[in-house]
Amino acid sequence: MARRKLKSAEDERPLVEYADQEPSAFSSMLGGLIEANVKGREEKQGDFENLVARVGIFVTDIDEGVTLDFKGGKLVVHNGLKPRRTITIRTDAETVMNLSNLKIGPLGLPIYVDEVGRGVALKLLRGSLKIDGLLPNLLTLNAVTRVFSVQ
Amino acid sequence: MVVKAFSSEWASEFKDEVNKSSVYEQAAKGWKWTVGLVVEAEPDKHFPDARGIVMDLYEGKARNVTVGTAADAQKCDFVITAPYTRWKEVATKQLDATKGMLQGKLKLKGDLPTIVRYTKASQEMTECTTRVPVEWPDES
Repeated sequence: MARRKLKSAEDERPLVEYADQEPSAFSSMLGGLIEANVKGREEKQGDFENLVARVGIFVTDIDEGVTLDFKGGKLVVHNGLKPRRTITIRTDAETVMNLSNLKIGPLGLPIYVDEVGRGVALKLLRGSLKIDGLLPNLLTLNAVTRVFSVQ
Repeated sequence: MVVKAFSSEWASEFKDEVNKSSVYEQAAKGWKWTVGLVVEAEPDKHFPDARGIVMDLYEGKARNVTVGTAADAQKCDFVITAPYTRWKEVATKQLDATKGMLQGKLKLKGDLPTIVRYTKASQEMTECTTRVPVEWPDES
């Protein structure tokens, strides 16, 4: 009986918390997207449980940013870019949407050879998608992409 | 033909534009949910009462688009709400709908992963609104 209660409480714990009293629309959207993804897709749950990283996303054409603080099974979303980020992604609104539409391949790697993937890769090469901390944190970026992707 | 903004005639023209779009047809394959647009009243812009646009979209086609009350639109699977002026900005390409949603200028209710999966379809639908010649109440 006690065991069942414990499991139920665990199921109901909030996956996503907002650091600010009034989360921005962008914060709410990213937090809501990741929460729905993790709750609705079993294959995302392992990544979410293991992910410990502070990821900044700055949308250049609306001048707004968020910091996603993944704490191994919990995400705290901050309005704006906060210090000590592992990775920071800077790009336009359309590319942020495209990043969440990257397909994930059989080895858990994002696919960059289809239409969406090629578009993202091209923006990276042209410099309209900038990822600070990319090289030392490639595995983390892949895990973030898997959690973030709706595909 | 120029039609009054968010009228039944506008809904009919908009539906035709969506059904003419091969880009939309391709991008919205698999979509089977209703979408409601709530256009909030702005009496000072000669738009005195809120309206609801109900779009029955299915597998890349618009089966029906009707104009009713805001409550009608709020019953849809996905609901996007904004004041009249914002919708006008979207329809006249002054505001990109994706940016508008990220900024909270357009408020979205519904399953986020689904709507994000169909970003291209929603962008093309926005394009369709821009192809309908409209008479705006605050300009007439």
